[in-house]
Amino acid sequence: MAESTDIVIGIPSYNNAKTIGHVVRAVDAGLAKYFPDKKAVIVNSDGGSTDGTSEVIKNAAIDHNALLIQHPLSMAHRITTPYHGIPGKGSAIRTVFQMAVDMGASACAIVDSDLRSITPEWIELLISPVLKEGNDFVAPLYDRHKFDGTITNSIVYPMTRAFYGKRIRQPIGGEFGFSGNMAEFYLKQDVWGTDVARFGIDIWMTTEAIANDFRVCQAFLGAKIHDPKDPGSDLSEMLVQVVSSLFDLTEKHSDKWKEVKGSIDVPTFGFRYHVGLEHVKVNVGRMLGIFRAGLDNLDKIWLDVIGAGDFGEIKSLGTLPDKEFRFPPKLWTRVVFDYAIAYHKKRLAPQHLIKSLVPLYLGKTASFIMEAEEMTQEGAEAQIEQLCLEFEENKEYLIKSWK
Amino acid sequence: MEGFLNLILEPINEVYLKFKGFFPNLLAMLTIIIIGVFVAWLVKAVLLKFFKAIKLDIWCDRMGFTALLRKADIWSKPADIFAVAAYWFMIIGFLMVGFSALNIQAIDSLVSQFFLYLPRAFSAVVILLIGYMVAGFLGRAVLIAAVNSGLHYAKLLAEAVRLLLTVLILAMALEQLQVAPSIVVAAFSIIFGGIVIALAISFGVAGIDPARRMIESGREEKKEQKGDVEHV
Repeated sequence: MAESTDIVIGIPSYNNAKTIGHVVRAVDAGLAKYFPDKKAVIVNSDGGSTDGTSEVIKNAAIDHNALLIQHPLSMAHRITTPYHGIPGKGSAIRTVFQMAVDMGASACAIVDSDLRSITPEWIELLISPVLKEGNDFVAPLYDRHKFDGTITNSIVYPMTRAFYGKRIRQPIGGEFGFSGNMAEFYLKQDVWGTDVARFGIDIWMTTEAIANDFRVCQAFLGAKIHDPKDPGSDLSEMLVQVVSSLFDLTEKHSDKWKEVKGSIDVPTFGFRYHVGLEHVKVNVGRMLGIFRAGLDNLDKIWLDVIGAGDFGEIKSLGTLPDKEFRFPPKLWTRVVFDYAIAYHKKRLAPQHLIKSLVPLYLGKTASFIMEAEEMTQEGAEAQIEQLCLEFEENKEYLIKSWK
Repeated sequence: MEGFLNLILEPINEVYLKFKGFFPNLLAMLTIIIIGVFVAWLVKAVLLKFFKAIKLDIWCDRMGFTALLRKADIWSKPADIFAVAAYWFMIIGFLMVGFSALNIQAIDSLVSQFFLYLPRAFSAVVILLIGYMVAGFLGRAVLIAAVNSGLHYAKLLAEAVRLLLTVLILAMALEQLQVAPSIVVAAFSIIFGGIVIALAISFGVAGIDPARRMIESGREEKKEQKGDVEHV
């Protein structure tokens, strides 16, 4: 039996030597400052880094005096462990669940290893709602640039909200807090050979928490700034993993979501403030180019999945000049629902089906970006709210076509 | 007169004796065929129920087999087609067995040749079926990946992959059927090698400028993508 502990903080990593030092220091400071009387362990679940990530973790030190922490009662232990199974974030997090359960932790949190904007307060905001308020799952809430997180804004958030009736704004945020019970529940599920073991882990954790009636809330963490990735290169793969996990969960919880009508807010912790956000450069022309290439080449698949009526509308969108291109929210809602139905009815190999959604998604994203160009953050958020309402209103269509 | 009568009766008698000897064989043949038709009908009915239970039609839809049938202007359900194929396969089999019961040397050798050829024909059909599905699957995968990468010649690329695989599969099936195997192998080598060389030459010589433009625009795109939208 492993030594018992109160708090476990998991940091999945793979070659993050540049940024993980800051993350470990912030976590360490957060634990010392806000939970000085608790026993805590920092678990780094590593995918075989070769850039000295584990050395950086070992050597990351904080000056407690500088942080006005006078007497930390116990220092957090640091463990670096390789994970097993399919390479990916999900497998790394599974190792954290295992250690949390083995050590009998009451509260846990997961933070990404490439975060640049994490502060000690994030640990307090992710752990306290569990330890002090009795919540089982804490989702993050960030201030993000209006063009950031487009899969979240156009598919994941509207669908999760319409399906399960809880307004969790960042269901695939990357940072989470959860109780020991929740970790035990996650660990028991037989999903570790699926896309959940990779990018699908975030949506899976959130959906399972809501669908199984655990107490959920969200915590405002400020801005999320992390290492730039190459979004273009692995977009298809990312979309496949996230959306197929989302659709698999729709399949699994079909009895549950069919009963849900409308949506409600969940408790939100943390002090809301506005953050100066970095401008995000967007290549709308490239997105529309891929949308039009899809229209020219994937017409048979689209026609089969979304039907002649909606395909006709999509086709007429393709004839519009770039500046006038607008993807109506109602049409997008029906497209996503039709894809969910096609996935459910196994009309096409799952990978092909979801990859064929990429050009449509890019068309929708390009349309949103052009619409929101002159809008404030609030204005863009209102657009997303409008899309969510469309998803909620059109849910009946999905229920009827499901069978 | 008696001699003349014998001349007429002897052949008739001979035919009668031959028919008498042959009649049981004929009866056996008819019995085998009638039983065969009944067994084939029974197998067809059982197969139809089995295919329905394992949802073969849905699986065929998913694998693109139904689409292939539609392309060939066949509108029956895949389960019906497989069951009917099995039915006719059995009918042909029982016919052959029935004919062999006649004990006629020419038919016997034809029947034995037919049975010797059956495994090859079956393998060729399996190769064609699996090959078609693999070619369709890979062609579609290439098409979607090329579209998502923003390539303008996505359909052409997908069709080229499908064509290459189809040529390969046809050559394999013909080789299996032993239809002029040396000519098939030579023809395949020439066609396949020719396609590859043509692609290499067209890309290497005629495509120098487009290739340069593609590489340069790729570099520019990569530069632009740094700081591009974060999808998740």
